[in-house]
Order: sequence, then structure tokens, then C-alpha cells
Amino acid sequence: MTANKILIIDDEESIVKFLAMSLKVDGYETVTAYNGKEGIEVFKKEQPNIVLTDIKMPEMDGLQVLREIKMIDPETEIIIITGHGDIDSTITALQLGASDFINKPVKDEALAIALKRAEAKIFMRGQLNEYTGNLEDKIEEATQEIKRRSNFQKLLIRSSNDGIAATDKNWKFVICNPEAEKIFGCKYSEVVNKKNMNIESIYTKDMVKAFKNAAKDGQDENLEWKETSLISKDGKHTPIKFSGRILYQHDKMIGSVAFFQDLTDIKRLEKELVESEKMAAVGQTVSGLAHYIKNILIGLKGGSYVVDVGLSKNKTDKLIAGWSTIKKNIGRVSDLVQDLITYSKEREPEYQTCSPNGIVTEVIDLIEDFAKTNNIKIAKKLSPEIKEASMDPQTIHRALLNLVTNAMDACLDDANAEKDFKISIRTSLDSSNLLCIEVEDNGSGMNEDTQKKLFSSFFSTKGGKGTGLGLLLTKKLIEEHKGTISIETNLGKGTTFTIKLPYETAAIKSQKPAKEDLS
Amino acid sequence: MNKKVLVVDDDPDVRTFIVTVLEENDFIPIVAHDGVEGLQKVIEEKPDLVTLDVLMPRGSGIRLYRKLKTDLSLKNIPVIMLTGIALKSFMRSQKTLSEFQGEKVPAPDFYLEKPVEPEELVDAIEKSLN
Repeated sequence: MTANKILIIDDEESIVKFLAMSLKVDGYETVTAYNGKEGIEVFKKEQPNIVLTDIKMPEMDGLQVLREIKMIDPETEIIIITGHGDIDSTITALQLGASDFINKPVKDEALAIALKRAEAKIFMRGQLNEYTGNLEDKIEEATQEIKRRSNFQKLLIRSSNDGIAATDKNWKFVICNPEAEKIFGCKYSEVVNKKNMNIESIYTKDMVKAFKNAAKDGQDENLEWKETSLISKDGKHTPIKFSGRILYQHDKMIGSVAFFQDLTDIKRLEKELVESEKMAAVGQTVSGLAHYIKNILIGLKGGSYVVDVGLSKNKTDKLIAGWSTIKKNIGRVSDLVQDLITYSKEREPEYQTCSPNGIVTEVIDLIEDFAKTNNIKIAKKLSPEIKEASMDPQTIHRALLNLVTNAMDACLDDANAEKDFKISIRTSLDSSNLLCIEVEDNGSGMNEDTQKKLFSSFFSTKGGKGTGLGLLLTKKLIEEHKGTISIETNLGKGTTFTIKLPYETAAIKSQKPAKEDLS
Repeated sequence: MNKKVLVVDDDPDVRTFIVTVLEENDFIPIVAHDGVEGLQKVIEEKPDLVTLDVLMPRGSGIRLYRKLKTDLSLKNIPVIMLTGIALKSFMRSQKTLSEFQGEKVPAPDFYLEKPVEPEELVDAIEKSLN
């Protein structure tokens, strides 16, 4: 630290000179003045850190000097030199901010002590200034950092692909990024800090409920993403996905934030995908149909050739054989048409009181002969628990007939001629009171690929003999009856199909109005 | 002497038709319902020619064809494939089997896709037999 500069003011020249000399010896730089006015002039020019001033001086006294200097630089240390009987002015001087006083005649020790104190004060003040300065710098730095971060966050929020909107605790908007503006269909200035704007003006009822409930429950995690549709003030629907959370500070809600994803493009793509899949399905349908119809035509053509031969050669056996081929293929056309009509029409099940076990028995009676001629054993196990129920008997009949026919084909198709083929048909009620019908065969089974394509249209493993509609129709019928169909299969070992249908006994059903409201 | 032709097809309508065509053209038809029965009839009846379907239960036409063409005593019997399956698919599956079994089989003498005209079939049979 540089030596302190001391200004000495006294009207007695000898004292000034004496003090100046003794202080110089102690290593101080001194400047002098012989009256108050001159003192102020010198002070302004030299800017000393410490001022020693006599209190009693003509014209401008020490108190006056003190006042003026403090006005110029309040940090200057001013030591008052007092004589006898100056107690009052000394007190005034101290009140005005003098740092110390020494009595006349000035003693070296007293002066040294006073100067040391003044220097210590200056030093302390210097340190303090440094600290304060640093502190200010630090604060400035921190402020900059916070600003930088907040700018960064602002930028992040602004440039986010998701819409982001935040509210205060009264659900009034405080943040709304450009993507959110787009989704809301209003400008930032129309949303943020607007008196009449709150979440209810923009969010859907469900969204408002989700946020308010979360706030009520003190939920401190993101809301589950949900899909909904926002309607802007000009009536535009925007499909969106939203999430969000309630914001807390010290367990108190301070606001909410919502995130939005605009699903317009995704929805459009989804629609296009569905359309193109539909078109592909139409193509498949047409080619599948063409193939199947071609096979029927082959049969009809072959049949008519055989009939022609029978006619020209007058052979009754040929007439019979050919005619039966033709009739069979006419049957196939009419089945196909029937299937296509069923497939293309929405059909409501026609519920009536019927006995599921009875229908199962009927179906078995129908196929028993065919099974016998092909050495396939049919076993049935019907649960006596199952009573008359309100169901659509046609649905059960058709679905079951289809599954049993498939099971027989699976047996006939099995390359393993050693097997004793067997089809088991079982009925039961499961724990959730669903009617279960199982059709199990020990035929060829199927591989994974076949299993995957099983319920798709015009997929057939039966070459030209299947329409590829059977299982598809079965599934449709079962689903229209609010039921499910499932499969378990093992290549080479066999397949089990299980149908589950809602089962309501006739007695219960009759207590209800005839037409059940399903909603 | 009239030639014996074995018709291997699981579809009764196709059998009736082919048998009638054969009878009308002075061949002696024999029938088999599937691949297994087909092989048995070939051995028992020693036909002069075989018409063979591809998609059949119990021993497909693909397998029976291989058996006929890889058996020294049977490989000279001409075979006409008569099927709804495209020749390409048939040859592809034969190629796969050839690679798998390490034994090549020649392409069939005739490969007719259903529906087949009676004249077309008779023509193919006569060409194969000469």
C-alpha cells in the first residue's frame, strides 16, 4: 500500500512546519495549508487520505473545513487538533465525522496513535471496498450466468417441437411457445398475461379436469400422455397428444406446465396407411377371388365335358358323374356368394333362447357320416352346467361347423397316415361365466407363418379347395357376438380352437327388456 | 395295345374329367387319390404314363415326382404334371429339394396348368409316349 498523503492545516506556521517535518521523517508525504480556505484548495488538488486540522482558525475554522472536506470526499480521515476549552467543538467535530482528535501541544505518541488508527481505518475501508467490489462483480457475473441460462431455457422453450404452455397458480398463462401458439391458433400476446385468458379458454374440458385433479391431489409427476383434439377460436380441430405437470415450490403449487404434440401429420399418415392397406387388401381379395372362381370354372368345364360324353355316347354313369360335378360346383359358387355377403355386411346377432349344447350336437350329427368314411373319430364332452341361454344359434352353428370342418381337413391333410385321427368337441363355462367351445384335432397342425395369416382374407392352405374366408367369417361372427376366438397349434401334433361367448341364461335374460342397451 | 395311364389327383371332379378324357381317347385309366396311393399304384400297375397333381394330402406331387424320377426302375415312366400351381413354383421347390438331397431331377415331360383342354392333354400324352 502506498504511503498515505497527509494534509496539515493550521494558522500557526511553526506547528505546521513541525508536524510536516516529523511526519516526513516517519515516511509520510505531507502537504500544508495555513488557513481553512487554502486547506480546501490544497485538498482538492492533492487529494490526501488524511487531514490534520486545527479547530480554531480565523475566517474558516476547523469545523467548517471538516464539513466541506466530508462533502468532497466522505471517506477522508480527518483528525482534529484541539486546544484547551474546545470540548464542545471537539464533540461537534466528532459528530460531523472526524475520525479522531489530539490535544495541543501535539505529542508525537498521540499523533502516531491517531494516525495509526486513521491508517487502519483507511486500510479496512480499502479492503472492504475491494470485497464489495468483488462482490458486485460476482453478483454481476452470477446475474449474467442466470441471464444466460434463462435465455438458453427461453430459447429451448421457444424452439421446442412440442408446444409448451405454462400457467401461474391461478391457471393464467405465463408462457406459450410458438408451437403452442400454432396449436392454440392464437398469438402469444392474446394468451399470455391476459386477464380473461385461462386454461379453460383453451384446453379441452378433459384437459382442464386432468390438471385441476392433479393439482387437487398434489400430484408431483407428469400427467400420462393422452390424445384429444383442441378446437381453436376459428373452429379448427387439431388432434394432439398432451402431458404436463403441476409445478411446486416448497410444497406449494406455483403453476402448471403443459406439453403438446401436434398429431395432424401423424393422423394423416395413419389414414394414408390405412387407405393403402385397404387398397392392398382389395387387390388381394380380387386375386384370391379370381383364383377361387377359376377353380370352380375348372370343375364346371370338366363336368360339362363329362356330361357331353355321356350325352353323345348315351352313357348314364358319365351323365351322373358329370352332373354331380356341375352341381357340386354350383354349390361352391352359391356358398362363396353367401360367404361374401356375410363378410361384407354388418350383422347384429339375433339373440334367442337356445341350447348351446344342443347346437353342438346338431353340428356333430351333420358331419358324423363324413368323419366316419374318413376314419376320423368324433368325441364330445358337453358340460351339464350349460343350460338354455340367450344367444344367436346361427352364429354358434356356423362358427362351430366351420371349425369342425377345418379340423377334419387338418386330419385329412396330415401326411402321417399312421395316426388315429380324432376330433374332440368340448363345452364348458369358465371362471368369468363365458361359454367356451373347444374344437381339438390331432391333425397336421400349423407353422407360425400359417398361424399368423390365419385370420386374413383369402388365405387358404387348402389350395383351390378353400375360399380363404372360413376362419375370417368365423371370427367376424364371434366378434359380432361379443366373443373371442383363440388358437393353440403344434405342427404335426394338432390344433385347438377355443371360442368364448358371453353366456346369459334365459331366465336372467327374460327379466331384462327385450333389446339390451349395450352402451 | 391300349396304354395305361395313372391319374393321381385328390379332387374327384378332376379325376372324373381326366378319366373320361382318357377313355374317350382309348387309354386305360387308373386312379389314385394321393401321393402315397400313387406310388403304390405305379409299382403295382406299371402304367405307361402318369398325370400328377401337385397339391395333395399325404405325399404331395412334388415328393412323388422326385421318387419316380430318382428310382432306376421307374424313372423312364413319362410324367405329366397337371396342376393349378405355376411351373416356376414347382421347379423352385424341386431345386430346393435337389440342393437339400444332393440329387437333381429332370423337368417333367409336360407341365400343364389347370384348366386343361382335353385336346391339349391328349396331345401331351401322345407326345410323351412316342
